[in-house]
Amino acid sequence: MSADVSDLSLVRRVQSGDKGAFDALVRKYQHKLVKLVMRYVRNPAEAEDIAQEAFIKAYRALPQFRGDSAFYTWLYRIAINTAKNAVVSRDRSPIEYNIDRNNDANEESYDMQGRMKDSETPEGLVLTDEIRRTVNAAIEALPEDLKTAIVLRELDGLSYEEIAAAMDCPVGTVRSRIFRAREAIDRRLREVFEGGLGRTEDLG
Amino acid sequence: MNEELDSQLSAMFDDELPAAQCELLARRLSRDEELRARWSRYAAISATIRAEGGARLNAELARRVSVAISSEPPVVAEPALAPARPSSRWLGSRLWAPIGGVALAASVAASAILWVRFDAAPADSQVIAQAAPGVTVGQSADGGSLADTPASYVVPKTIARRSIVPSTQLANYVVAHSEFSSPVNRRTLLSALMASESGTAGVPSGSEEPTEDVNDDAKSPQ
Repeated sequence: MSADVSDLSLVRRVQSGDKGAFDALVRKYQHKLVKLVMRYVRNPAEAEDIAQEAFIKAYRALPQFRGDSAFYTWLYRIAINTAKNAVVSRDRSPIEYNIDRNNDANEESYDMQGRMKDSETPEGLVLTDEIRRTVNAAIEALPEDLKTAIVLRELDGLSYEEIAAAMDCPVGTVRSRIFRAREAIDRRLREVFEGGLGRTEDLG
Repeated sequence: MNEELDSQLSAMFDDELPAAQCELLARRLSRDEELRARWSRYAAISATIRAEGGARLNAELARRVSVAISSEPPVVAEPALAPARPSSRWLGSRLWAPIGGVALAASVAASAILWVRFDAAPADSQVIAQAAPGVTVGQSADGGSLADTPASYVVPKTIARRSIVPSTQLANYVVAHSEFSSPVNRRTLLSALMASESGTAGVPSGSEEPTEDVNDDAKSPQ
């Protein structure tokens, strides 16, 4: 299987004017990108702002994307540059510079600037925590073959072929196991949202 | 929801779906909000397993980006930079280009040689004429025939080479514009000029070169 083929198929759709395909790319990579940006900024809300800016820059630059590198590699570079620029401009600002020092007084000034994001509300934090606990509990409850398959895929980043070799089974079986593992976790996850803690679309 | 479709979505998320199926599913994914919500949950599951702690799983990032993008014009890919098929005319010019270059260089070289020879010819005649004024072949200086005079040897005079620009004039030019050249270059050039002078006009090779003065000029403010 050629790498990045699914991203490329989405990218081609975006390049033909389909914004929904770009939304799919954002949903796929938003967590990864925020985590990446948080190497440069510690504040999650600021990291999300930078990630948002990076996505918008990527969208505007997509006409020039030729697919010479993987989409995420290209996006990664945009995010890194955006984060570095944000850090430089923040360091030039006295208020933002103080925020970086992360003491109580500065957090207070941060609130005074009205920069607190909705996602930092207690409800948001509870929901995130609930999602994590639910996913982890669902993984623990999985049959061993499904758990092994999904962990090898997600945690170790193995391809289906490599997992098939490791588990001594056909590639089709691996695909089926990973799908069933995701479905089992997703079923529990939907209950969390339908139970009133949040909406499905809150997942982004 | 179709289980086969969900299975394909899972495989596509892992980049393990064949390209042809990816194309079809990408089209559907971009239009089906329910499918994209499932896609989002797959991403959240992945982030949780990978302990991507920085990301808030309920983040509204995707929605914010979507809102921002909605005001943007749709992107249109620039035409691919496919190699253009060369036309026969272009191909012909490519083939003839080196030959034309060689011909041009040859004609320039030939013109230069002819010009130098044409320029040097009168000087050579003059030197020969001065060396033997009034002496013709087969006749001695006192008007007797060669048969009456003892045999003598004529040492051929060295034909002075005339450069396109007289060396003195060139040296003066270099000295006058010394501020625009480095001392090393000036020394090299003037040494070469002096050497050529010594070989053609009988200037002793050990004669004092004016380079010291040139260097002094270069050091002094103009």
